[in-house]
Amino acid sequence: MAASFWESTQRRFWMFSKEELAQMREKLCEEDPKLVQMYPLPDWKYLYIYFNQRKDIPFSPRLKECASSTRVLLQAQTDNVCIVEINRLGKRLGIRQQIIATAQIYIKRFYCKVEIRRTNPYLVITTALYLAGKMEECPQHIRLVATEARSLWPDFLSLDTSRLGECEFFLISEMNSQMIVHQPYRTLATLQSDFYLTQDEINLSWSIINDHYVTDLPLLYPPHIVALTAILLSLVLRPNSMTGAAAANNIAAAGAALAQAQVGRGGLGGNNGASSGQTTPGGAGGGPEKDKQQEARFGKVQRFAAFVAESQVDIEAMVDCTQEMISFYEVHEQYNDKATRDQVNRFVKARGLDKA
Amino acid sequence: MSLTNPQSSSSAPSSTARVPGMKRSVQATFDDPSDRGLGSGYQSKVRVVDRYKVIGFISSGTYGRVYKAVGRQGQPGEFAIKKFKPDKEGEQIQYTGISQSAVREMALCSELSNPNVIRLVEIILEDKCIFMVFEYAEHDLLQIIHHHTQNPRCPIPATMVKSIMFQLLNGCQYLHANWVLHRDLKPANIMVTSAGQVKIGDLGLARLFHKPLQSLYGGDKVVVTIWYRAPELLLGSRHYTPAIDMWAVGCIFAELLSLRPIFKGEEAKMDSKKTVPFQRNQMQKIVDIMGMPTKERWPYLTSMHEYSSLSMLQTPMMHHHSSHHQHHHSSSSKSSSSSSASTSHLEEWYYRTIGAHAGSATSSPAHGNGGGLASLGADGYKLLAGLLEYDPERRLTAQQALQHPFFSTGDKVSNNCFEGLKNTYPQRRVSQDDNDIRTSSLPGTKRSGLPDDSLARPAKRVKEA
Repeated sequence: MAASFWESTQRRFWMFSKEELAQMREKLCEEDPKLVQMYPLPDWKYLYIYFNQRKDIPFSPRLKECASSTRVLLQAQTDNVCIVEINRLGKRLGIRQQIIATAQIYIKRFYCKVEIRRTNPYLVITTALYLAGKMEECPQHIRLVATEARSLWPDFLSLDTSRLGECEFFLISEMNSQMIVHQPYRTLATLQSDFYLTQDEINLSWSIINDHYVTDLPLLYPPHIVALTAILLSLVLRPNSMTGAAAANNIAAAGAALAQAQVGRGGLGGNNGASSGQTTPGGAGGGPEKDKQQEARFGKVQRFAAFVAESQVDIEAMVDCTQEMISFYEVHEQYNDKATRDQVNRFVKARGLDKA
Repeated sequence: MSLTNPQSSSSAPSSTARVPGMKRSVQATFDDPSDRGLGSGYQSKVRVVDRYKVIGFISSGTYGRVYKAVGRQGQPGEFAIKKFKPDKEGEQIQYTGISQSAVREMALCSELSNPNVIRLVEIILEDKCIFMVFEYAEHDLLQIIHHHTQNPRCPIPATMVKSIMFQLLNGCQYLHANWVLHRDLKPANIMVTSAGQVKIGDLGLARLFHKPLQSLYGGDKVVVTIWYRAPELLLGSRHYTPAIDMWAVGCIFAELLSLRPIFKGEEAKMDSKKTVPFQRNQMQKIVDIMGMPTKERWPYLTSMHEYSSLSMLQTPMMHHHSSHHQHHHSSSSKSSSSSSASTSHLEEWYYRTIGAHAGSATSSPAHGNGGGLASLGADGYKLLAGLLEYDPERRLTAQQALQHPFFSTGDKVSNNCFEGLKNTYPQRRVSQDDNDIRTSSLPGTKRSGLPDDSLARPAKRVKEA
């Protein structure tokens, strides 16, 4: 349980394959298609077009992968509003990132089982933070939470704490009281010295972990996979070079490192047989000082690859996780905050969920 | 009982204070229709009364009440349903936010799975109340100990003590390995099934201690019922470890042997300023038997917050603990560094306890099976001393205690603590009718059917920050 992720309720009940996740969401939509139609949300609308177009075409594995990753990213945009907003409230209450992360998981679990259009997302966010605070042993008074949330979203919440209390019942009930959450931060803290991470690299890993809560990854992969992916990305990505060809180059390096790890483990599908020499990130240019840094970083990537190869870590999962994170950063730039916000606010207002 | 326990009168509301609106039948407490159906609000998918038939009331506490039930939908066995009390009894119930203690218990019990930890069946959130459904346990250690003090007073058989201790330690080991501190181990919270399985219960104070965001002390200023509270807590340690549970296990071991709490102190109340007082009387009880702690035995002693308060304690005298308790003189500051002051009398206490019982065992053939306590021998003393070690870092861990020769020598330890016993223990008393529930669910009354000194036990103990 708490010590072992493998025996935890998180692994037993709250980890899904992409297909399972898609099915659950589809089921929610099918329960009340009218509702879904009446209040389109950007991602789901596109999602449906996307699915309808391809309904009868047998997926090639490649296409399937493509489809599922697009779906994941599109879905992520709905949650995005919640995530942006939860960070605002969290900051206001001086709540620590780890508690926000727990609340984010609660929100994700909840919306796996409840159609978002039936809820007031602002109330759900507030409740998730309130509950996560208690669970992470940093409780905040219900009145304080309600007051701060109301001042952030005056049009969508009342000061009535009993609303929050009621939503807490709803939230806990949908989660089957399974509230203990394993997070990648702990793995990062444990491993950072093993990999000689610099403060910059730790910070970058930390923010990549923060970002992964915007995606479906927390419902797809165990926290240690996410942490290892974040570390790998922090080693191959320079801060401020997340976009463009340089990044693509570096992603290739990350992929190569993982491929190498697979080979190192002995024949687990090492089809491209990446030799270690090819994986140097960022190739040309720079003085001797820069070369030295690159060498050091290269050494770390090597160490990392060796570690992954020796361990029992699911490399396939890491490869996918890496791709999801990278696609997320690419898609994130296209995210239209205002449009999404308007659409969420529209159904909350129109259905009177702010008063329910 | 010569020692009455003042906190029973001061901490728990007086039993004459009647609460209005308590005249509800057992079943009625489950289906109170007064505030159902507010329309759009939260509705439970399952109803407690549809799934369970309540057959009686078991006990009440600060958290709420516990009922005995059987399944209506073919669920095998019996259940104990813990109903968390809504904040305002009688009035229109409001959602007020679930207490942190309930949140902890719900989350931890959902996660835990071990034969020596009470098993949660399900949680139903309905009508602003939380119902936690547990497997039913027929007995608990408080009840068993109490039974042995009754006519005639006779010791718990040695084999049974061994089995209880092993199972209790096994449950602790599981909790600690999973970074869970129980923080309220005491006989009343240790359940025993009719098959003799020991189950650690009541995780209302339990919490995870792995890399907490906030220090443990910062969360709850006061933990563990006073008689079972470890010396580092009494001395105001800001940081504590699973060792606090192990001290409590040591106290329970001693109580299984002597049938009374080994350190039966009086609790000093929190004053109005919410500062935590030094529990001088409780510390004195410990010192009386264990001797004065010294920095040789406990290197961090001098850095304890209340270290200076130790000088207010009386130096233990050889026979002090066996004499009637006297109020000590507040200003008697004595040098406690002499070797006699720090000498432990635990060994003497142990052999007197098991010896006395061994002698009297012959006169009580009803419990004569299972072996006299004297058979626990020197290993029993060593285990007890290892658990009641002042220095938390040197105190036995649950893992170490499980590997103690105490369990590997002599008869094989059974995982049925009643194995080979001829006598049986009375079943848990449950009350059914209006009359009983009214009297037994009054605030401050811990349970139905346990008279006399058990009621003088300290009530629950926590002040949430």
